[in-house]
Amino acid sequence: MDLIIGLILATVISWLNFVIVDTFLGLPEAPGVKGAETVGYSIKNRKGDLAGGFFQGNILCSPDASAGTLMASIGVYILGIQGGLIAALLVYIGNRLCADPGYAGTTGALTMTLLIFIFSFIGITPEMFICGMVIAIFTIQGIHHPTSSRLIGKIAKSFGRYTKYE
Amino acid sequence: MISIIANGFQLFMNYIVAIIVAIVLALALKLPLLPEKPIRFSWTKSALFPTPVFAIGILAIFYSLNVFWIYKGLLIAIIVGLFSAIFVKYLFDYVFPNPQGGSE
Repeated sequence: MDLIIGLILATVISWLNFVIVDTFLGLPEAPGVKGAETVGYSIKNRKGDLAGGFFQGNILCSPDASAGTLMASIGVYILGIQGGLIAALLVYIGNRLCADPGYAGTTGALTMTLLIFIFSFIGITPEMFICGMVIAIFTIQGIHHPTSSRLIGKIAKSFGRYTKYE
Repeated sequence: MISIIANGFQLFMNYIVAIIVAIVLALALKLPLLPEKPIRFSWTKSALFPTPVFAIGILAIFYSLNVFWIYKGLLIAIIVGLFSAIFVKYLFDYVFPNPQGGSE
């Protein structure tokens, strides 16, 4: 597949994978670790959305579906499908080491391994997914926190996962 | 492109066998099938959450190192399934102790 088209598709797939898995498993609801709470209230003070802030804090402070997506892509790039499964195990161990009580990282790594396998049939390579995931995480964490947190807040509301914190 | 070593279907069946063996033994060791609801707190051990992840992760490490042994890797799959269920039941809290403080 053409490199640019493949990159765009890989970015969209990675973005949907980690945002849907993370939101569905409750990242915007509550901070899983202390750092996420700090990040969430800091973003709220800068006119962002609190649920989106918790989401960003959670993916910043401990391995969640974003890290799972990236590690699964790298694992599949190095070792094939087996690498994605090893990545899921490593993300789970990383979750325990970070004292993060979530399921999102492991789930995200497994769903991403499945997605990479499916989309390899239309020619999207694991390299494209590695690069696409970096671009996808940049749109959430790298450009403008308050704007992206409001977008995440809207997505969280539509999933019924909005935070109850004030 | 993604390379799957040896026979892809055989490997896929081996993973399924490892998952089934792990879940069945975990249930036999009286672990609950599902984590407590709402599913937000992964410290609780159950037959469906960490057990199959350990089984397929460890099995994938063996296959990546080209260790297949006999019956095209099927025996390793069964042994890894048994090991991961026993590990989650008896050794898990020792290897990954419950963190104090932190989240709440």
